Amino acid sequence: MIKNNIKQEIIPVAFLTIVVCASVILLSLTNDITSENIEKAKNEAVKSMLNEQFPSMDDYSYYEKSDTYTVFSNDKIVGYAFMANANGYGGSIEILVALENTLLTEDDIVIHGISVISHSETPGLGERIVETVFSSQFNGITTDEVALKDNGGKIDAISGATISSSAVVEAVYKNALEKAKEIRENKDLNFDEGS
Amino acid sequence: MKAIIENLMNGIIKSNPVLVLLLGLCPTLAVSTSIDNAFGMTAAVLFVLISSNIIVSLIRKFTPERVRIPVFIVIIATLVTIVDLSMQAFLPALSKSLGIFIPLIVVNCIILGRAEAFASKNKLPNSIMDALGMGIGFGIAITIISFFRQVIGTGDLTIFDIKILQVPGLIDNPMSIFILPMGAFLVVSILIATLRYTGVINSG
Amino acid sequence: MDNLFAIFISMALINNLVLSKFLGLCPFFGVSKKLSNAISMGLAVIMVMMAASIVSWFLYFHLLIPFGIGYMSTVIFILVIASLVQILELTIRRTNVTLYNSLGIYLPLITTNCAVLGITFINVRTGYNLIETIVSALGAGVGFTLVLAIMSGIRERLELADIPESFKGIPVAFLVAMMLGICFIAFSGMV
Repeated sequence: MIKNNIKQEIIPVAFLTIVVCASVILLSLTNDITSENIEKAKNEAVKSMLNEQFPSMDDYSYYEKSDTYTVFSNDKIVGYAFMANANGYGGSIEILVALENTLLTEDDIVIHGISVISHSETPGLGERIVETVFSSQFNGITTDEVALKDNGGKIDAISGATISSSAVVEAVYKNALEKAKEIRENKDLNFDEGS
Repeated sequence: MKAIIENLMNGIIKSNPVLVLLLGLCPTLAVSTSIDNAFGMTAAVLFVLISSNIIVSLIRKFTPERVRIPVFIVIIATLVTIVDLSMQAFLPALSKSLGIFIPLIVVNCIILGRAEAFASKNKLPNSIMDALGMGIGFGIAITIISFFRQVIGTGDLTIFDIKILQVPGLIDNPMSIFILPMGAFLVVSILIATLRYTGVINSG
Repeated sequence: MDNLFAIFISMALINNLVLSKFLGLCPFFGVSKKLSNAISMGLAVIMVMMAASIVSWFLYFHLLIPFGIGYMSTVIFILVIASLVQILELTIRRTNVTLYNSLGIYLPLITTNCAVLGITFINVRTGYNLIETIVSALGAGVGFTLVLAIMSGIRERLELADIPESFKGIPVAFLVAMMLGICFIAFSGMV
């Protein structure tokens, strides 16, 4: 009797366990097959994003330590870029922030421009952060000016989407300062066109 | 043979999963902003639906009663992850556009519903046909809805980068409400009501 | 603190799971005919959402990612939810049989509620920390319950209204949802 009961308990659980194991095996196989392509797709995406900010780009390097990109044109550095993450309404907003190459020669940190890569903001409202009308406000301003007009900066928020707008502003400001510092500290790294 | 064809046709009109059984509404409404999305989603759902029906039907005699639902869920979740990874690798733009609705196929009631209501109780050929029919039915529904939302909401009928037509008045002043979430509710509501009124489908 | 409040309002009202993200529609239209049912369902969903979000947060950031098996998240999360719903079901059956009976089949259906799985994905993809995750799940659940309650109240009245035959049931419910959605857009003015 007891033996039967134990059997009744064990068989369903064993079955489920086998199914889960099969699932894990199948998925790690799939992961092995696809991860290379996923990486490649991501790199293609990065390349086109950088190109958008720096049309003259013919090469770029990625520096893992600072998680930044250095953009080259004719073997000269035309700028730097990095990904910043903002906490918007609907979730994470991925922003590509590009900095002018004057980073190492001058005190000011000048923003070359930004591109909103992905977001889940509300259509018609927060979503409008992708529009050039909003993003072009960042072109050529210094980090001191990266703030909403209400806070003494130069950025006009999108009406009805203050959270989305300020999320972008905050992320750009914070990350620009941080990344600029890292790039400045790793001067050697950034002049080395090797890798 | 007749029974198999019947299983197929069942899902397309008479028991259309979206318009009659009212299953799988979440992805239908969310993803139907463009026809490209609709096609992509349908392909993904078809793959998962057919595969899961096949597997569930094959193991139906061995599956212990008590763990039926968790087992189905794991099978479906695994298939969905395969689709998710494959899309990210080979169709990255579509993957981005469909967003979290790819992994959410796991809880698409259509798939779990058919696994539970049909595949677990029927032979392999019938289960395959049922999946095919339900998938096609889903595809038809979501494509019709996307068509209306895209054309009225953006004035532009572009499928896979092929410009088919641009409605003169609408392209400059589209009725954006159709692209917004509420537009989805509106289109589906009118669609179902019209289909019922014209007798194409019966009220649930 | 400001940030947490913003997350809560965002999840509950502005990016309401049902009306703007289309998650949780099946129970939304199925359960919501009686107000008391709607509220009980809503509370159950809030509990599952919060518990599931917390557990999946831990699993994702402390188990899946460190071991490089992030792709298992779909399978793991849904299993977590399924287990939590089972536990919830057993608890309700033991403590309040009438509630259990009135919720009927909708209780196990919380497992397939896209809103619950959806919120776990939203939380990890947004990269919220633990506190933010809890607040987000709470906000999402509250928003869901709110909409469910409003909807059931309206539907109670609709039952008595004179509606064309083809519109009865889901089509008119969708029209109501549409109008609710339009009203909720007003909340974006809060920020």
